[in-house]
Amino acid sequence: MSDQFRNRVMFAVALLLAAIYLFPLYWMYITALKTGSSMFATPPKFLPSEPQWGIYAFVWESRNMGRYLWNSLVIALGAVSLIAVLGVGCAYVLARYRNGWVDIGLFLILMLQVLPASLMITPIFVGFSQFGLLDTPRFAVILAIAAKSMPFFVVLVRATFMSVPMELEEAALVDGNSRIGAFFHIVLPLARSGILVSAILIFMQAFGEFVYSKSMIQDIELQPASVGLNSFMGPNTNEWNNIMAYATIYVTPIMAAFILLQRRIVSGLTSGALK
Amino acid sequence: MKRILSSVTDGKGFDIGLVVLPLGFLFVMSGLPLVYNVVMSFQEVDMFSLGSFVRPFVGFRNYVDLFSQPETRPILFNTALFVVASIAGQFAIGFGLALFFWTNFPGASWLRGLFLVSWVMPGLVVGAIWNWILSGDFGVLNFLLRETGVIDGNIFWRSDPNYSLWAVIIANIWLGTSFNMILLSVGLSGIPKDLYEAAELDGANALQRFWTITLPMMRSTIGAIIALGLIFTLQQFDLFAGITSGGPNNSSNVTQYWAWDLSFRQYDFAKGATISVIMIVFVMLASVVYVRSTRHEVRG
Repeated sequence: MSDQFRNRVMFAVALLLAAIYLFPLYWMYITALKTGSSMFATPPKFLPSEPQWGIYAFVWESRNMGRYLWNSLVIALGAVSLIAVLGVGCAYVLARYRNGWVDIGLFLILMLQVLPASLMITPIFVGFSQFGLLDTPRFAVILAIAAKSMPFFVVLVRATFMSVPMELEEAALVDGNSRIGAFFHIVLPLARSGILVSAILIFMQAFGEFVYSKSMIQDIELQPASVGLNSFMGPNTNEWNNIMAYATIYVTPIMAAFILLQRRIVSGLTSGALK
Repeated sequence: MKRILSSVTDGKGFDIGLVVLPLGFLFVMSGLPLVYNVVMSFQEVDMFSLGSFVRPFVGFRNYVDLFSQPETRPILFNTALFVVASIAGQFAIGFGLALFFWTNFPGASWLRGLFLVSWVMPGLVVGAIWNWILSGDFGVLNFLLRETGVIDGNIFWRSDPNYSLWAVIIANIWLGTSFNMILLSVGLSGIPKDLYEAAELDGANALQRFWTITLPMMRSTIGAIIALGLIFTLQQFDLFAGITSGGPNNSSNVTQYWAWDLSFRQYDFAKGATISVIMIVFVMLASVVYVRSTRHEVRG
């Protein structure tokens, strides 16, 4: 009985801590529903008295969010596909062997993982413009994001492959499979869920990417939602309810996906980042 | 020809093929830009020579010019303050939360995972939310601080040069705390329980157990997390773009924002490349520490 009581108290405290921590998100949702004047009321209202549900449709229309989100989706899907096609095989080889070459490859990949995008954008921009890649700016951004995020993906997926028993693959080889056959029929299906979770994580990052898109995409027709949000927030803006409505539309799908897949994302992330 | 083909489908060639393509891609897309960055830092680059590969070589003039600019020193100081304060805040709060959730009650791991929502959100959205929370006259943070009696008048977080950097630091601590907490939780759960039982039998109290068991056992995890924190803080760009844009008057500017600002706002690509080179060297050093501290855990 006392154990149960303790558990309940702990859970209540934990809930309180989570509520404090996630307050900024609550504030985003609440601000979006306020009217232009109640937003600036002192003391601020923590529950909106007359929620303005129409604001989402209004912001969606007036800021042309469909186009922005479509561009974000194109960029994120493009980057994830490129990373997955190139990265899975690399992670597999780095997980399967243990020798000096693998150590060197792993070290190089970890070093590339840490390069800050805002420092790499100068040479990438100049180089891309010289090779004419900036004529297809979304493709240029996809390439840049792929180079930036692939090392992280390889590290995460490598951890997944490490947990696939090598004996299974060897058994398939003994049964007459070729290496390609064993890879596609045995190893890949076993690592499927780990690869999927890593890809989702990369997708979330690419969906919110800002530096490369802001620097390389000048044409407003091709800009993603992060750049759209940035141009929405002028230096002296006071449309905070509209901005928060924009932010709500932008992040709610990402957060919903995260909460649904939370357990697997967290375990995938922790196995990759520390090991 | 046939031998090469069968090696690709069924031998060493298969592995090499799988590795060469991605490594080649990374070499072209990350390795070459790194080299190009260094090359540009020794060149004179302006809007006219942007398109050509042959540009005047100027030796170390970009570096000398950079360090003779009056804003360089404050910006370097801001960067150091931003990194130290962010890591300290993220680590302290993250460790506290990790220790709390370590006591293991029903629902602990689910609630703990919920914190990570902050980490998957686009940085610019986090910046926008904190920009509004930290607003001077109508910000909810000022209201809460006033109500609890911490401050008398409103703090103009974004426009007061004394506070602008701290506005970004607060947002960055919020953003990074959850990731620190999750990694520290992993480290904590790796400590064998019998160590604590033995210590308890010997009469060690909670504080002694923390100092003599928890901290020493967590040493390599803590090293990795601090190094990762350094790497992530030096990557932080979106919050600056979303909250202060480095202003007012560079009071909240840091090197990674400044490098971008020099290249894409002032079109001084050579200076942007120069400061990038300097910072990339720093980041590389941090990542060596990180790789070393994670390495022997993999082996063990």
